[in-house]
Amino acid sequence: MDLANQAMLFVTASVLASIWLGAPASFAFALMCMLSLNWGFVPPRGSFTVDLERHAVLLGAMLLVSWLIAGLVWRLRAQAAAARDAACWAARLQVVGEALRDSADPSAQAQPIAEALAALGGRPAALMLLHDELPPADLAEMALWHGEVSDDERAGLWLCLRQSQPFGPGTGRHGEQPAWYLPLRSRGASHGAALVRLANPESASDADRARAQALCDLLGLSLQRAALARQTEAARELAQTQGVRNALLASISHDYRTPLAVILGAASSLQAQGERLSAVQRERLAQQIVDEVEQLSRMTDNTLQLARLDAPGVALRLDWESAEEIVGTALAHARRRDPQRRLHGRLEPNLPLLRCDALLLSQLLDNLVDNALKYSEGPVELVARLQAPGEASGWPQVVMSVRDRGVGIAPAERRRVFEVFQRGDAAPTTRGAGVGLAVCRAIARAHGGELRLRARAHGGSSFELWLPVVPVPAHEGSRA
Amino acid sequence: MIRVLLVEDDRDLRGTLRDALALEGYEVSTAASLSEGLALWTHARPAPDLVLLDLGLPDGDGETLLATLRRRDATPVLVISARQADGQKIRLLDAGADDYLVKPFSIAELLARLRVALRHRGTATLPAQTRYEAGGLVVDLSAHRVSLGGDTVHLTPTEFKLLARLVRSAGQVVTHRQLLSDVWGDEFTEHTHYLRLYMGQLRAKLEADPADPQLLLTEPGVGYRLLD
Repeated sequence: MDLANQAMLFVTASVLASIWLGAPASFAFALMCMLSLNWGFVPPRGSFTVDLERHAVLLGAMLLVSWLIAGLVWRLRAQAAAARDAACWAARLQVVGEALRDSADPSAQAQPIAEALAALGGRPAALMLLHDELPPADLAEMALWHGEVSDDERAGLWLCLRQSQPFGPGTGRHGEQPAWYLPLRSRGASHGAALVRLANPESASDADRARAQALCDLLGLSLQRAALARQTEAARELAQTQGVRNALLASISHDYRTPLAVILGAASSLQAQGERLSAVQRERLAQQIVDEVEQLSRMTDNTLQLARLDAPGVALRLDWESAEEIVGTALAHARRRDPQRRLHGRLEPNLPLLRCDALLLSQLLDNLVDNALKYSEGPVELVARLQAPGEASGWPQVVMSVRDRGVGIAPAERRRVFEVFQRGDAAPTTRGAGVGLAVCRAIARAHGGELRLRARAHGGSSFELWLPVVPVPAHEGSRA
Repeated sequence: MIRVLLVEDDRDLRGTLRDALALEGYEVSTAASLSEGLALWTHARPAPDLVLLDLGLPDGDGETLLATLRRRDATPVLVISARQADGQKIRLLDAGADDYLVKPFSIAELLARLRVALRHRGTATLPAQTRYEAGGLVVDLSAHRVSLGGDTVHLTPTEFKLLARLVRSAGQVVTHRQLLSDVWGDEFTEHTHYLRLYMGQLRAKLEADPADPQLLLTEPGVGYRLLD
């Protein structure tokens, strides 16, 4: 075999070796290959001297090619490793980002983020998250702390947060620190700071710091989003409270005056003229007081109920109730206000049980029946029936309606009757004034149902409560 | 003379109730707080025959007073509650209060409830009430017989147990929990749907118009009451 072929074998060996060995080792191996070729095969054999000039060129070229290839292989491997690293990091960021997006409380994600930062720095990391706005003083209790920090580190974190600037090696500020102090930034503000302790502050890379900062900013944005959500909720609650308060004021100023005037008139008449009034007159005045107080009491119940149902997160006392009993209760309640027995109940047999708050449904039907008796002459019907699933909805519903033969309600008014009138509105001229129908609708909606108003074919109105039917649990006790 | 202990913190209401009860011939002692009520109850000799207990007291929960009373004897307790106190009202009824009135209430209603509670006190030490008669319905618990307008009505064993429980407390409210526990057993106290079904069946057999009951009355959200 001539020398050129032997040289090619040695080059191949050194290239193969560079795939597994590190860069310095590959260079050394290539040099060793060249020297051993020189020693063993290049004349004069057994020495490092070279007789012919072309052999010297061959050896030189061989070494150069081996080193070039080793260098290229090494660079390729470094790039592949960096790409793997970047992909791994991107996946991690994505996981953290998704977790942050899905959680209503970003501070719950502090633990995994602190772990990721610790992996970057090589030592345990710590986080400081603000509860709310940036406090005027550096008070530890105004923030949520994650991980142990010394007093110096705590001061550093506050400074980092207040200036919204990173410190530490490579940042150009406080480079002597053995850790990075990174703000949790969002648009326009920071919501906390992270302490990334470094195992080797001298060799900390800018790329790692950029990654750590990206992670911190992800958390910062989530914290900002959560803070905005809290503010929105607070504003909504405030607006709602305001609305309910307006309704209450309107109701007091409008609805309460008449009964109060009647009560004061009757009571003061009894007080001032008591002895001179006949027994019949006294009885009539006392009856007026009782009637008006009952009216006031109902209005107060309605107003309070509306305020309660409008509050967020209201809890109903749900139980299995029979439609028959709810209708029966409404009939019993109406009896005293209905001396001529104009109200009649009608029930479809075998109605399913309802999942509802019996007191609320009673209040709803009482209001509807009251209105019907007050604003119409002639008979009033309270009807309960089952609506099979079909056009109206995909599931069966129980419909309870209160029907009268009054003058009806003008189409333009039909939507308005369910609304609480606000201060400044023209005094309502039709029924539905005050909060009675508004509370009925709030009760229906709290049950996942709906309150509808339908004009009847031959005059009059039908107020209809539509309630979804919920399957009753299996009852082993129903045998009888 | 029948002695009534009235525990109510509102001065005007306390005065009105005291006068109204005195006019009906009751001997009334009044307390404005829970501690005062407890002291009056402990030291009054002879002890009151009935307690009227308001729930919204300044110094604590009506439940403690009821518990103390119940440890001693079965003095009837009528609870006066505001509408917002539904949960507490039901707890007190379950814990042994005899009946409740929701503010505002009329004096006539109060006097009627008072009479029912006192009558039950009379029978508490004697054998329980075994016969009930109203609106053509006759229930004879010892003979296990129910008749309506002279005709015998056939009830299933569960229906009869339910009716019997209401008869024993006729005129008083019996909570869902009490009925379920006494008729079905303690493990069924949440199974309100049983109660609805059987009450429906009872009404179908005993009421002229089950949708407009005259005897088996509903107290929405609380329980049932058999007409006194």
